[in-house]
Amino acid sequence: MKRVVLPCNGLDKAFGVLSCELALKLCETNGAQIVCPVLLNNSPARYEKTLAESDLLVIDGCPTRCASKLANNLGLKVDDKILVSEQAKSSGLEIGDSLRPDPVGMQLVDMMINDLAARESDISTQELIPGDFESPVDFLSVTHDKFIFKIPSQGYLFSENDTWVRVIGSRARVGVTDFVQQNLTDITYFEPAQAGSQIEQFDEVGSLESGKSMTDVLSPVSGRIIAVNIRLADSPELVNEDPYGNGWIAEIELADFDSDKELLLDAQSYSRIVEKKAAEVQK
Amino acid sequence: MSKRKTIIMPCSGIGKVHGLIAREATYAAADMANAETLCLALLVSGDKDARAKIKDADCIAIDGCPKLCAAKNVEMAGGRVVKSVRVVDSFRGHRGAEPGTATALADDGWKIVREIAADIACGLGKSEVK
Repeated sequence: MKRVVLPCNGLDKAFGVLSCELALKLCETNGAQIVCPVLLNNSPARYEKTLAESDLLVIDGCPTRCASKLANNLGLKVDDKILVSEQAKSSGLEIGDSLRPDPVGMQLVDMMINDLAARESDISTQELIPGDFESPVDFLSVTHDKFIFKIPSQGYLFSENDTWVRVIGSRARVGVTDFVQQNLTDITYFEPAQAGSQIEQFDEVGSLESGKSMTDVLSPVSGRIIAVNIRLADSPELVNEDPYGNGWIAEIELADFDSDKELLLDAQSYSRIVEKKAAEVQK
Repeated sequence: MSKRKTIIMPCSGIGKVHGLIAREATYAAADMANAETLCLALLVSGDKDARAKIKDADCIAIDGCPKLCAAKNVEMAGGRVVKSVRVVDSFRGHRGAEPGTATALADDGWKIVREIAADIACGLGKSEVK
């Protein structure tokens, strides 16, 4: 997909100036299209078609994150984000106060461009290589009426939105629980999220549709989507057959799992939620 | 003369040479007149400090094109625009000028930048502008 870039275009801070330089260089070297932040705010319809047909990269200069705020206010789908001040910090480059980009500033711009290219390459590779995740073998069972809902007893955490996450290192795989797949009945369609997008905890990571209803899958963790389960496009029934294994939804490069974990549940706690929900569904 | 602080703000024009001229003219005028600048996107995103800052200042808006994003948004945020400059108007005195590109100004572009900046600085009583 084509890329459009929304820079903060900051004027009075060095990092803002570098956000402008990065946007212009992406435009020159990668054919990206620039979206003017203020014009976007004034006349969003002007960019509607472009944004619908492209991946959106938001570039913020400083932690005030004006460009991100604009995107958020307008409800835009952001596929990737860069915070220039953070990139400078992590790269160890000292950026001064000058509003004229010096060689160090331009070195940072080049580094960010290379990093973006590497991310794209990383995504296309990882979509083809499944992660090292195995299906669970031990389950807790919640029985309600004639239904039995399975919950992996170890190695998984759950959200109250009935999604699960399994973490290996800095990477996580997420999906929906047995409770969701049984309530949806036969799943007929899977809409994946955009690989490469940055998501917050409980942002959408895809949607599932059955003859009965449609549900958005809300990610239990924050980070960057590094792979989506492309097999579900042709075989959405995998979610019904193996929700904790082959029916996974996406893989995420974790951003802040320590914080995300505070809102997640272990198998025992989640089983109590399922008991309550199952009783509610029957009413 | 007003004792209020002067803030010079260009549109966020990016990707077009007129926007780049507005930006460069802002830097040049701010240097000449010892005035401040402020990010328009910061103002537009609703930043409270930015809004408070322009309410206590005389604002000079430099817009690249006739959409007047800078002038309009400063006024919408409660600011007082004492002078509104349109870069496109500056081209009237430079028929056939080749100002450069969205990323780099040519001699004609820099000439227009200096004219806009000098005009603003003179208006602010900085008569020593060369």
